[in-house]
Amino acid sequence: MITLSDLSAKGGSPVTWPMGLFLLGLATAPFWLAPIGLYQYLGIEIAIWILFAMGFNLLFGYMGLHSFGHGAYLGVGAYAFGLFQLHVGTSLWGGLLAAVLAATVAGAVVGLFLSHRRGIYFALLTIGFGQVFWFSAIKLHSVTGGEDGLLGIPRPPLELGFASVDLNDNAAFYWFVAALVALVVPLLWRLVNAPFGRVLQAIRQNELRARFIGYEVWRFKWATFTISAATAGLAGGLFAMAQESAYPDVMSLHQSGLIVMMVLVGGGLVSFWGPVLGVILYFIARDVLGGLTETWLLWYGLMFVVMVMVRPEGLAGLFHVLRPGKGRA
Amino acid sequence: MLNLVPHLVNGLTLGLLFALIALGFTLIVGVMEVINLAHGSLFALGAYFALSTIGGDWFAGTGFGVWWQGLPLWTRYVLALAIGPILAGAAGMVLEFCLRPAYGKAPLYGLLLTFGAALVIEELIRLGWGTGEQHLEVPQAINGAFFMGGLIFSKYKFFAAGFAILAILAVWLLLERTPYGAVIKAGAHDSEMVRALGYDLATLRLLVFGLGAALAGLAGVVMVPIWGLRPHVGIDVVIPAFLIIAIGGVGSFWGAVLASLLVGLAVGVTGAYAPAWATMSMYILLILILGLRARGLLGRKSALES
Amino acid sequence: MTLFAAEAIHKRFGARVVLENISLGFERDRVHGIMGPNGAGKTTCFNVLTGRHAPDRGRITFDGRDITGLAPQRIARLGIARSFQIMNLFDDTLVIENVLLALPAFRGRRTSVLGKVFEDAGLTDAALAVLDLVGLADRAWEKAAALPYGDRRALEIAVALAAEPRILFLDEPTSGLGAEATQGLARLLDRLRQRYTIVIIEHDMRFLFGLADRISVIHWGQVIAEGTPAELMADKWVKRSALGEVA
Repeated sequence: MITLSDLSAKGGSPVTWPMGLFLLGLATAPFWLAPIGLYQYLGIEIAIWILFAMGFNLLFGYMGLHSFGHGAYLGVGAYAFGLFQLHVGTSLWGGLLAAVLAATVAGAVVGLFLSHRRGIYFALLTIGFGQVFWFSAIKLHSVTGGEDGLLGIPRPPLELGFASVDLNDNAAFYWFVAALVALVVPLLWRLVNAPFGRVLQAIRQNELRARFIGYEVWRFKWATFTISAATAGLAGGLFAMAQESAYPDVMSLHQSGLIVMMVLVGGGLVSFWGPVLGVILYFIARDVLGGLTETWLLWYGLMFVVMVMVRPEGLAGLFHVLRPGKGRA
Repeated sequence: MLNLVPHLVNGLTLGLLFALIALGFTLIVGVMEVINLAHGSLFALGAYFALSTIGGDWFAGTGFGVWWQGLPLWTRYVLALAIGPILAGAAGMVLEFCLRPAYGKAPLYGLLLTFGAALVIEELIRLGWGTGEQHLEVPQAINGAFFMGGLIFSKYKFFAAGFAILAILAVWLLLERTPYGAVIKAGAHDSEMVRALGYDLATLRLLVFGLGAALAGLAGVVMVPIWGLRPHVGIDVVIPAFLIIAIGGVGSFWGAVLASLLVGLAVGVTGAYAPAWATMSMYILLILILGLRARGLLGRKSALES
Repeated sequence: MTLFAAEAIHKRFGARVVLENISLGFERDRVHGIMGPNGAGKTTCFNVLTGRHAPDRGRITFDGRDITGLAPQRIARLGIARSFQIMNLFDDTLVIENVLLALPAFRGRRTSVLGKVFEDAGLTDAALAVLDLVGLADRAWEKAAALPYGDRRALEIAVALAAEPRILFLDEPTSGLGAEATQGLARLLDRLRQRYTIVIIEHDMRFLFGLADRISVIHWGQVIAEGTPAELMADKWVKRSALGEVA
């Protein structure tokens, strides 16, 4: 049986060694990325997708709702950020706020439809809604720029009152993204260990019992869906900055499937940190395998299939096996 | 006022084609309770095998290849109609073998495995046949256009729709009018029953998955002359199949057929007024129907809900 | 005084009538038993009374309030708790958390997104107190899935108790228990009866007759007899239909 068993029993304190390791890695990445043959921009991409994946895992791993259309909210965030910059005004916080708000609203509305659906119908509806967003992005040419998307989205400077930081430089932008990740990830950690998060996990384990001890299950599903969409929106806003554009591809079923793969390969079903491992592995595989062969997705896909067959707990699950008895993170 | 008739006819033929696509999908979902995300890739695989059969690529340059390419197109087409699905079915059986560890686990694993398989198959297609758009030749007799009531219709579309009707009837006959049908339907729900009838569950699953995959491949061979053939054609196909199953209700044969026709009509009629948004009407239909009826039009309670 | 009443309940699944015109009344501070052969409709009856299924016809009232057709979570929040015959626990969760989640006071903190689960010592103590009642206090920090069968049964009851119910429905609590564990359970219920109104479905007659103040016998979806254990013992019809196969 697969469980999120690495949640510490009396948990909630963000001071754990994986958290420390994670923050350390985040803080030092710019210094060792280049020496090991990688590059600064990859760090930005990984950090953004970690944000997306961890918010997604709240829904996927913790709540047990298997969404296959979550790229939509990343896309909504990206478009909202871009539209804000192009039509309202160049503002970093304004754009990010717009991204989060737009994705939250989209998630909240879709969540209303989804929160009463279960299992396969839930998955099918998430695909349906995901496709609606994707398709709208392609067809609403005058707003979204069609298949090409919104181009030339600026990276507004970070205004700190006493100083202004230019984020066009990838090193500076990395620090900004990393700071946001370092803020959001501990918050998510607190969330899953707070009463709210524990109720989520209880519902995943036994929805019937949760109802019979008085919980309005659908509200928890709705709230989780919305929170997870909001996180995706933030990631989307940052993604638009990173790419300096927003395009429909991130909303496609393919992309939504990839995030599921990343979370699963990393072990999102058994660990809070699974999505981190999964995202890192995916991007490293893309760059390293992609450098060796054009068909890297074939190998990645094969690896994924084998993994689901023999060790569906993912990488984090492997870790648990290697450290018997000390499996709690 | 727009003349709706051609759009309705178009919608109905499209609906029948959708039904052909959804046929194998609903069979696998209904019997094995596995959402086969690789359905579209098997569809593409069938079409690519047919392409090679018609072109005779495998034996190009040999005496046999020359003789083969000398055969009339319709002979090669008919052979492709058989060989494409058979090979897709074989690929499906390999996939079923990979799926075995997922039985009895959450439906998520079936979804994930088949998603991975879809990626792999798509990449294999790129490796084997290249990434470009290709064209599947069809015999002269069913090619071209004809006029009816002053309107122009594609002959091939009608051939494909007729073919879809035949396939639907054949599957229905298999399920309802043969002893195998009872075993297949007992399938996932009642493994005791399957054993009591003297069949091996593992073999049954293998055959059903093979049949579902072969139907996907068949749909591929038939549809691709209309939709074009490219490695990622699978994803364009698996989505309508999905929607149709969700709208019709998981596990319901007639639900799937009804949903296909509804979706086809919705796309056809939307196409009359706002062509750019025709595809969108499918999704709206899905959201409307699942918003009102939790299990689609004719769905029953499924193990996939937990 | 009648705390919980069901009047003329009908329930069918498809063509099968499972409950036909069942009326039951449970009095405050009493232990009420429901018995009958397997397939008589006892569990369906419980499911209808506690909101898992809505009745096709009939009326259910709790403390004067009509609760017919309310969702189970609403019914639960009114103070109606139940245990399940087939175990329904949060298996991957600690024993104490199973209980904690069911405490109404914890439910009040359900929207807390930054608090810690066990930070409220008062709640943790309350959960421990419930566990102590069923004899599980020393296993509080183990995983629910790790408990042996009998202890899981006890936890099942503890989760129902944690809801601070005004009426407690227990669905076959002795099912699968050995003789010793059954006796332990009987002692537990004997203690609980002083504080709760209890309704028990049971087919272990000796167990039920030792505990219940009143017993209703259900057969073929109907109440065929009702009375104190002593009265039922004397009833020939009951003896033949329901008791016969056990006694």
